Amino acid sequence: MTSARRVAAEAWGFRARVEEEAALRFDGLAATIAGFDGASPVPALMRRAAEDERRHAGLCAGLAESLGAPVRLGDGKWIRVAPEGLDARSAILYEVVAACCITETESMSVLTTLLEEEHAPGIREVLHAIARDEVVHSRMGWAHLAREAEAAEVGFLSHLIPVMLTGTVDDALFGPPPADEDGEGLLRLGVLPHRQKRESFVGTLEQVVFPGLERFGVDPAPARAWLAARTSAT
Amino acid sequence: MRFKKLFQVLVLGGAVVGASSGCVPAANAQGKDKKPPPADAGTSSAGGGVKGW
Repeated sequence: MTSARRVAAEAWGFRARVEEEAALRFDGLAATIAGFDGASPVPALMRRAAEDERRHAGLCAGLAESLGAPVRLGDGKWIRVAPEGLDARSAILYEVVAACCITETESMSVLTTLLEEEHAPGIREVLHAIARDEVVHSRMGWAHLAREAEAAEVGFLSHLIPVMLTGTVDDALFGPPPADEDGEGLLRLGVLPHRQKRESFVGTLEQVVFPGLERFGVDPAPARAWLAARTSAT
Repeated sequence: MRFKKLFQVLVLGGAVVGASSGCVPAANAQGKDKKPPPADAGTSSAGGGVKGW
C-alpha cells in the first residue's frame, strides 16, 4: 500500500467515526434546545443533520474500506465537551459553538478546498454529497448563537474558545509536515496535505470563525492569542 | 475570497436562519439553574473541543 493510500484510509476511517459521533451529538442537542427554545428552527435542523451524519459515516467508512482500512461503526457515543460548572443552557451553547461554529465551519472549509482538486474515482461524489449537507450543519450553530445572543449574555464563551480549539486540533498541525508526505497522492484521495490543512484551519479561524464570534458578542481576543502562540512558534 | 464567501454563506446565512422564527425565551426563564442533561460518556471537567475533518 502506498503512503498516501494508507494515510487516506486512516483519514476516511477517522472521518467515519467523527460523523457517527456528530449524529449522536445532534440528536441530543436537538432534544435539549427544543426544551427551552420551542420557536427555534435549530432542533429540526439538527434532527435532519443527525440523519445526514449517519449517511456521511457510511460514505466515509465505505471509502476507508475501499482504501484498505475497514472501520467498525455502531459503538459511537456523544461525549460531552462542555466544562463542568456551566448551567444547562450555557453548556448546550458551548457544545453547539464547539461542534458547529468551529468544527463544522472548519470541515466546510476543508471540503471547499478539496473540491477544487482532481480526485480518484469515487472520491468527488462523496465530497460533494457531504459538502451539500455540511453548509446547513455549520449554519445551525451560527443560528443558535445568534438566538442565544439575543436572550442572554454569551460573552462567557470568550475565554472558553481556546479550550474548544485545543480539543479540536492536534498540536502536530502547527509542527513540520511529515517527511515522507505525498501531497499530490493525498489530494487525489480526498485528504488535505499538512500545509494546506494548516492554511485552511488558520484562514478559517481568522476570517470566518473569529469575525463570526465577534459579530454575536463573543470577544475573540483570547482565541486570537491562542492561535498567535501556535503560529508564531513555527 | 473563499473565506469571505464562507463567512457570508455560513455565519450570515446562519444568522438569517436563526432570525426566521419566533422570539427567544430569556435565558433566566428556563434552563439557567438546571444541571446539564446527561450524555453517553461523561464530561470533561475542564472542557474540550470537537474533532472534525
